[in-house]
Amino acid sequence: MDLANQSNGAAIKREDALSPARKRARRDEIQALKLAAPGIVWMTLFMVLPMIMVVYVSFWTQTTFAIEPTLTVDSWVRFLTSPTYLDSIVTTLFIWIVVLAATLVIGYPVALLIGLMIRNVTLQTALLVVCIIPFWTSFLIRVIAWRPTLGTEGAINSILINLGLIETPFTSLLFSELAVIIGMAQIYCVFMVGPITFMLARIDHSIIEAARDLGAGFGKIFWRIILPLSLPGVVVGAVFVSVMVLGEFATAAALSGRKVNMLGNIIVSQVGSLKWAFASVAGVILTIIIAIVITTLLRIVNIRKEM
Amino acid sequence: MESRLLKPALAVYLGLFLLFLYGPMIVMAILSFQGPTGGPQFPIVEWSTYWYQHLFGQISGSRVSQLPVGESLIRSLVLAVMTTIVSTVLGVMAAQAFRTRFAGSGPIFYLFVLGMIVPGVLVGLGMALLSNMLGIDRAWWSTSFVLHVVYTFPFAFLVMLAIFNRFDRSVEEASLSLGVSPAETFRRVTFPMIFPGVLSAMLFSFTLSYDEFSRTLFTSGPRLTLPLSIYGTFSVEIYPNVFAFGVLTTVFSFTLLAIYGLLMMRSVARNNQQYKGQET
Repeated sequence: MDLANQSNGAAIKREDALSPARKRARRDEIQALKLAAPGIVWMTLFMVLPMIMVVYVSFWTQTTFAIEPTLTVDSWVRFLTSPTYLDSIVTTLFIWIVVLAATLVIGYPVALLIGLMIRNVTLQTALLVVCIIPFWTSFLIRVIAWRPTLGTEGAINSILINLGLIETPFTSLLFSELAVIIGMAQIYCVFMVGPITFMLARIDHSIIEAARDLGAGFGKIFWRIILPLSLPGVVVGAVFVSVMVLGEFATAAALSGRKVNMLGNIIVSQVGSLKWAFASVAGVILTIIIAIVITTLLRIVNIRKEM
Repeated sequence: MESRLLKPALAVYLGLFLLFLYGPMIVMAILSFQGPTGGPQFPIVEWSTYWYQHLFGQISGSRVSQLPVGESLIRSLVLAVMTTIVSTVLGVMAAQAFRTRFAGSGPIFYLFVLGMIVPGVLVGLGMALLSNMLGIDRAWWSTSFVLHVVYTFPFAFLVMLAIFNRFDRSVEEASLSLGVSPAETFRRVTFPMIFPGVLSAMLFSFTLSYDEFSRTLFTSGPRLTLPLSIYGTFSVEIYPNVFAFGVLTTVFSFTLLAIYGLLMMRSVARNNQQYKGQET
């Protein structure tokens, strides 16, 4: 006890006098700040400042071809009272929730197979690589590849007609909400597969064996052990997918034939007609939605604790 | 018993999943060999490499105008190289900084990571507004470039952070205590050890920037990058030359990936050899 007190007192004294160790720690800290400074400056100037600018301009006065820095809430009022723009909020949320559900439903079994069922590490890695390879193709090319696949004279219709399953081709596959959802589900599902696989691969197999020895069926093992343990992966995947889908506009523009207008599409078309203040309002609303979605998702599990 | 049934079922499911993942690309690759009179759909009128020749401007008097890819390809490559260099340097520096706990490191971590989360269309809009207000001309090498780094820097940073986390500090300390200067220590000791990580960070930055589209849309000014040229073809009717182009860019990306793989293998092999040399 006495000894501990003594050494404690000595430590305090040493700190007061700025011991060499303390000095070195200080110098290291300053050195670290210097190394981080370029990144901090870059992100502040080119990310934080533009974001502030969006919020600021959303309160500017919009004239026909220009914006004036006279503050007003006109753009906000017009946006929030127009059914077209309110619809785009609903569309964005609808597409987001459906694509999120689709990626989870499509991706989870794949993750289950790769992460949990296959124990051979080489095969595991190979399958993951096969899932990731499409990412080295341009995103826009992957989107446009759905056109000859879903079109009236596209691959799916040709195959179905040749097999004699249908007489007349489906015409609503392409240029519809469905096409946008299929396209996004394909492009983003790997972001769901990855994190879930990662969490599943960390599950200790002896836990599952213990449950089985104690007489639990697969259903019970899945709901009580596998799903809870993989939940952080689901949340991380959901954050990835949500952030990307909510900010999307290219897939909707290319596959819906301009029928589906998400908030991103509104921003693009408003900028195209030089309605900067209006585009900014849509931008701020999009930011708010994304912030709410991410904080809600992160509240489900404490990711920092789980990782 | 259930799991005995489950495994084959999941294997079949994986096959369907891969078909879902690769199907459209396969369809596109098949249709890129469409004949001159055929459209971007089935059936294939005749098999030919017409649209590939069309892409390289070897067909004159075609009803379809040539894809404006030549110059935009070069722009995209230059932009990707610029982005790769800057974001990798920034990423290595920032990750090196995060090896020491310093005041405010928590918020700064989130500031960095935010760059990969914020939708491109938002920062793009903000950057366009900012350059409008300041009277700066927007161009792919200025306003687009800084946004590309905002996006790729967090990836480089996280990759390097993961590398430094597994890093054996004692080797560095040995060098420093033998009187080698910090700069020389970094060049001769730290850098060779983190080099595989640096390569990964560079690969991330390059592919992300090369394919980046939403951040470029509002900020590139009149001269387009490659993804913007492709996007431009979406609004008009598409022809199989877009598919031929898609196949070629995919082949190009795989070549880059193969080069990366080779460099990585060589780096690992060389490291192993070095250690062997030191042992004897």
